[in-house]
Parts: sequence; C-alpha cells; structure tokens
Amino acid sequence: MSWGFALFAALFLVSLVGVFVWQSLPIWKEAGTGYVSGKQWFYRQHLFGALPMIYGTVAVSVVALVLSVPIGVGAAICTAEMLPPKLRLAVKIFVELLAGIPSVVYGLLGILFLRNWVYQLLTPFDPLSGDTLLTAGLLVAVMILPTVMTLSDDALRGVPALQRQAARGLGLNRSEAVWSVVLPQAAPGIFAAVLLALGRSLGEMIAVFLVVGRQDNQWPENLLSLRPLIESGQTLASKLGGSETNIAYGDPLHWAAVISLGLLLLLMVGFVTAMAFRFLQKARHA
Amino acid sequence: MRRTLDWIFRLATALCALIACGVLVLIVAAILFRGLPSVSWQFLTEQIRLVGADGGIFHNVVGTLILITTALIVSAPVAVGIALVHGVYIRHEAWRRRLLLLLYLLNGVPSLLFGLFGFIVFVKFLGWGKSWLAGGILLGLMILPTVTVALIECISSLPRRYLEAAAGLGLSTPQIIWSVILPQSLGGLVTGSLIGLARAAGETAPIMFTATIFAGATFPTGIKESPVLSLPYHIFILAQDSFDPAAGARVWGTAVVLLAIVGLLSLVALPLRLRIHEEAHHG
Repeated sequence: MSWGFALFAALFLVSLVGVFVWQSLPIWKEAGTGYVSGKQWFYRQHLFGALPMIYGTVAVSVVALVLSVPIGVGAAICTAEMLPPKLRLAVKIFVELLAGIPSVVYGLLGILFLRNWVYQLLTPFDPLSGDTLLTAGLLVAVMILPTVMTLSDDALRGVPALQRQAARGLGLNRSEAVWSVVLPQAAPGIFAAVLLALGRSLGEMIAVFLVVGRQDNQWPENLLSLRPLIESGQTLASKLGGSETNIAYGDPLHWAAVISLGLLLLLMVGFVTAMAFRFLQKARHA
Repeated sequence: MRRTLDWIFRLATALCALIACGVLVLIVAAILFRGLPSVSWQFLTEQIRLVGADGGIFHNVVGTLILITTALIVSAPVAVGIALVHGVYIRHEAWRRRLLLLLYLLNGVPSLLFGLFGFIVFVKFLGWGKSWLAGGILLGLMILPTVTVALIECISSLPRRYLEAAAGLGLSTPQIIWSVILPQSLGGLVTGSLIGLARAAGETAPIMFTATIFAGATFPTGIKESPVLSLPYHIFILAQDSFDPAAGARVWGTAVVLLAIVGLLSLVALPLRLRIHEEAHHG
C-alpha cells in the first residue's frame, strides 16, 4: 500500500515529463534543433524559435541572482554567525513567514509601484516603458531573497560549533573565522541554496508575467550588452502564461511549439534542482 | 587593521540583514496600508459586482477554501504513504536518497507546468473543462513534496528506543506504524500540511487554466464544467486590466485577505515547526 504511493509519485513525475515530450513531438519533427536556435516566433507563419525566450528567462534569473545572492548570503552570515540565538530565531521566523507571500501579490506590487520606479530611474536611458527584463529581475530578486537567506542560514548553522571555537582559539577574530573556516565548509550548502533559488526564478510566471512587457522576438545583437535588460522581453514562463496557450490548442503544430517551451523549462529546472540536490548531499556528508 | 576589517565585515553583513528585512517589512506595510481600508464584513460576504469594481469577494474566499481543502485530502494520504516507505520500508540508503531526489525534483517543477499538465490531462483528455476537482488535485500534487519532507523529518527524529521497545513487545511492522510512528509524527503531518496549504492558497498558475474563472461561479455542484472563483486569480486579472480606482482599492483589499489566509496557516504551523526544529538540533 505504502509502496503504491511512492510508486505513484514516481509515476506522476514520469507521466508529467512524458506528457510534455509526447505533446511536443510534432514541433521537434518539423523544426528539429532549429526550434531551440530559432530567433523568430510568428505563429501565423508557423515560425517557431524559442531562443529569445530562453534569453529572457536566463536574463531575468541572472539579474535576480546577482541582486539577491550577495544580500541574502550576507544577511545569512549576520543571522547565523553574528546575532545571539534568540534574535537569530526571530529573524529567521520572520523571513520564513514572508517567504510565503504569494507571487501574485508580488506581481501586484510590481505592476503598481516597481515599474513606475524603474521607469523614472531609467529616464536618462530613454526606455519605452517600465515593463522591462530588469523590472522582472528586480521583482524576482525580492521573491527569492527569503529562500537564499534561510537556506544559507541552515547551511552555515550546519557547520559544527567546535570548528568555530577552534578557529577562535587560534586567535582568529569572528570575521576571519567566518571567511577561513565556516564559509568553505558551508559552501556546498550555500551553492544548493542558490541553485534552488535559481530553479524558482526560472519557473516564476505570475509576477514576471505582470511586469516583463511580454514582447516577443527580443533577441539582443550583443549578448553581453546591458541595453536589452531595460527593454521589454519575454520569458518561457510568461509566454506560457499568456493567452497564446489557449489559442494554440486548435493547431497541433502551434500547440506542440507552445508545450515545448514548457518542456525546455522543465529540463532547465530539473537540471538545476538535481545539481542542488547533489550539493545538499555533499553538505550533509561533509 | 584586522580589527577594522572585522568591523567592516560585520557592518556589511548587518547591512545586508537590514536591507533584506527592511524590504520585506516595506512590502507587508504597503499592502496593509493600501488594502486594509477596503476590507469590511460586507466586502467578505458580498458577491463580486461590476467586474470587481463593486461588491465583495465572498465566492472567491469560498473557492480558495474549496481548492485547498481538496488539496489537503489529496496530499495527506499520499504523503503518509511515501514517508512510511522512506522511514520504515526502505532498507538501503541509496534508495532512500533516490526517493528524496524524486521529491526534490517534484518540488522543483514550476507551478505553471502543473497547470499545463492539468490542462492537457483534466481539461482536455478527461473532458472535465474547468473544474474545482482538477485544481484541487493539482495543488495537492504540487504541495506533496512539502508535506512529505516535513513528515519524513519528523519520523526520522523519532527516538530509536520507541521503535525498539515496540519491536521488543513483538509488534509487527504495521502494528508499529499504527501504534507508534503515526501517533508520534502527527505533528509533522499537520505542520507540513499547513505550510503546504499556505503555499497552495496563494498559487495562481496551476489553477488559471484548469479550475478558476474571474466571475460567474458560485458553489460547485458537480465535477465537469464546474469552476470556482479564487482569490489569487481575482488579483491576477484585476492587476492587469483595471484602471478603475474603485477596483484598485478592492484588489488591495483582496490581497490583504489572501495574505491573512496564508499568514494564518503559517502562524498556526509555527509552534509545532519550532518544536520539531529544536528537537532536530538539540535532541
């Protein structure tokens, strides 16, 4: 009976992937790898290229990580290493409660405050609107901040107190002990925290959908240029959340192209999660 | 020099913590400040009118409660089953790790993809159309890893001597499960479920294609073609479309109600969660 349930979970994951693969088969037969490398998406002409959306997804996630990882890990060092235990617990509870704020509420804040602020801030660069990849990245950064913070805190607390005492006994001060003893040992756990946060930001739809502008075919000429970040874009998730998903069902090829976006997202997130899991195991057995 | 560096580093980390907490405080303050004025008894008990610009959110609250109750009924038994397999039946560490990896992978699947999966399977293949049951099942599957992992942690922190004593009395494995493991780990199931439900209550993506509409649904009477209203989808639609100030005030009010439900579920889970946390680290 119990085995049945465990098997059920495994079967569910397999069938989830299976359904996405099966439903997207037509587009892989039709376009092959051109689907991933194609830069144009015009469904009326049956042109399906996912590359700009992959770029959008990666750009939003990179912006989110660049902003939230230093602050989140810094804050975790503060709570885990500097604060007295009672205060640490209080901050942790507070942050974990806030991790539960629904993404649609973040989206609401983004649409009514953040995009205006971004627009005003960017006026010198003459943006078209406040709906940009940067806005989405900022919003996702705030959303994943609690995740980064609380999981990094767990990783840091996982380092035995004895190690700290030994470091302090050798004459290192608190910061030096953190840098040379605690952080190296907590590194796998912190990597795992960052990867889990990355997984969440790759797949975030609702909040991104509301502020990213949902502009198709935004493939930058220079990949390293920052300019595309202050223009509207499209992520895999925001595309899937749009009305095109409802339109597409009638046309097998179009539907397959849309569902393949989900398959790409599933593969990206699955890879990142599996990596995070490996780091977690490493952290546990260290 | 070393002392200066020490102080700079400490200040920098404190600053990070302040920024993080400050941003989060500001967010909650902004929502409460904007939304509280429009929350009233009337707002909670009236139906939606004038595309959200008038009336209340009664059926949205009811719909969300229906969805998360269904999710609870779906996820709890499966979670217990998986946790028992992990804690009792699996004898090899490698398989235990594989099961945990499976749960992590499931937890990583973006909620949007649960929605699309549900759209293909429930809405189209089974021909349910939009249905509360599809939404509840999807939310239940989505929170399954959260519930299961909480339960697994609880079971693995049970003192070995309980199990040894039970085995010593000659109890069979199912008897040990019923009389020792399940009663002792009930807290883990409750906590995990509450945390999971808090997450499920706020999710929009899994239900927007499968279970919920913006207006025109009341209590569901069947399974096929019986959608419900819901709080998150209400916010999602109004946030996009409405520039009407009356609807604007109500959307913030809706956000406050949603936050209250989510916050309440997490707060109820808190004491038990702290106890488990403390036991895990000091027991």
